[in-house]
Amino acid sequence: MKFLLNTGRTIRQGSYVERKNSVAYQEEATSLCMNPVDMMNLELEEGSQVRVESDQESVIMKVHPALWITQGEVFVCLGPYANHLVKPETHGSGMPDFKGTMVTITPTSEPLVTVADLMERCGGVRYED
Amino acid sequence: MKIDDVVCPFCGCLCDDLVVEVEGTRVVSVENGCTLANEKFMGDHRLKTPIHREGKGWKETTYDEAIRETAEILCDADRPLLYGWSGTHGEAQSIGIHLAEILGALVDNTSTVCHGPSILAIQEVGHPGCTLGQVKNRADVVIYWGTNPIDAHPRHMSRYTTFADGFFLKEAFRDRKLIVVDVRKSESANIADEFVRIQPGGDYAVLSALRAIVQGKRGIIPPSVAGVSREQLFRVADLLLSAKFGAIFFGLGLTMSRGKSKNIRNAIELTEELNRHTKFIISPMRGHWNVYGSNEVFTWITGYPYAVDFARGIAFYNPGETTSVDVLSRKECDACLVVASDPGAHFPKACAEHLARIPTVQIDPHVNATTHLSRIQIPVAVTGIDAEGTAYRMDGVPIRTRMLFRGTYPSDTAVLEQLYAIVKEIKGP
Repeated sequence: MKFLLNTGRTIRQGSYVERKNSVAYQEEATSLCMNPVDMMNLELEEGSQVRVESDQESVIMKVHPALWITQGEVFVCLGPYANHLVKPETHGSGMPDFKGTMVTITPTSEPLVTVADLMERCGGVRYED
Repeated sequence: MKIDDVVCPFCGCLCDDLVVEVEGTRVVSVENGCTLANEKFMGDHRLKTPIHREGKGWKETTYDEAIRETAEILCDADRPLLYGWSGTHGEAQSIGIHLAEILGALVDNTSTVCHGPSILAIQEVGHPGCTLGQVKNRADVVIYWGTNPIDAHPRHMSRYTTFADGFFLKEAFRDRKLIVVDVRKSESANIADEFVRIQPGGDYAVLSALRAIVQGKRGIIPPSVAGVSREQLFRVADLLLSAKFGAIFFGLGLTMSRGKSKNIRNAIELTEELNRHTKFIISPMRGHWNVYGSNEVFTWITGYPYAVDFARGIAFYNPGETTSVDVLSRKECDACLVVASDPGAHFPKACAEHLARIPTVQIDPHVNATTHLSRIQIPVAVTGIDAEGTAYRMDGVPIRTRMLFRGTYPSDTAVLEQLYAIVKEIKGP
């Protein structure tokens, strides 16, 4: 099912921003907020894992019900999981479309990946602190 | 030891009323701070020593070696990028720009992915702003547009708007009208007198409709504009026009959505329109504690606030071409120095891939996503905790952050001064 991905700050994301290798940060940055009606249509329960796919990247996230978001839209806090789904195209403005990426969401049982895993996929070398 | 009037180096509010208790080289308690401030001061998750990559692993190294290696990487590069700067003090930012000049590098700050579009709009039509003190004492109508201060700037409402009593507003919570405009019903929207939910990408249209209403052209407004009913638009416009002093604060909901800088231009022009009837100001909600400072320091020295390219030997500025995301996604730069930010986590994937491809060096107190993409990381003191320096609040007021204890880490300024000296020596007179 297709959704419009919105990203933004959350207080938990801000709290863990200096601990990006931590489980707490990973949990927050992979929390995908979705309208409960959309969750019902996709047959998802709270905490279900989903594959979120754009034309740039595909990441696994955990879904959480949110009445404050309208159907057809999903919200994920800013961070490597959400931002790597976004195209680098800036339309000559310098700013990518961080609040307007179309994604396809499907249920999955695949595990979440860590920030270090994600960076290794980009060609980096993990540093364990 | 308890220290009063401590400045918080987290968000653009730069709250300066914290009381921090320090024991030796450790913060043991924080009073008056929000959740973000508590985490910032109490957090103890720093990288212990400089590290550099050897093959598929990491090794510890010394400051002298790490800085020398960084200088050689930057001097060997044809098109180095110096990115970040918003999480450090002005003195360090200044050295960074001088470093860019002698390297012929491109230097950019985090505005590029936050309020860069706001700066472009301000360059077109100006900025009718004021200090937050004026807002606190005078504003009887406050709008938060595309921003959620409860999560992103947790004390903005209690220090300057909704919950802050002011000279002319003795009971702020009752006397100030709060309007929140957003695509989602955020925590801040929950306490608003009027919540305006806009369809994603509809900000420009709603701003245009409000401008038309303020100009007295109610008859041309269609029944619904980007999901907002005509009745609500009239109600909001009436609230704006009834203000004695109105303040519009906007966030990345405007700068990152369709229209980008043109959304901000339209919002500024609405402010200008409202000033024909009453007093109104508009201000961006700046994110990093010293991102405003990076714009100031860049502008003093180069004439431009971000995305400055010294490749021609002079400062050249062309956002969309000289902005970091564009330069990285075009695979144009061949080395990168990241200071006090985390592009690995906050740039699109194609940019992170290029950072991993080229020699990237990071100067930052903490391990973050960019660490895994880097070849070298140099840990430094945290400004406002074990280093001091000047920062600019989101309204442009400079505030000196304080050193609470003398730790073992060098400051950004110390590391960058050493780096600058070596680069200067390699480059020659």
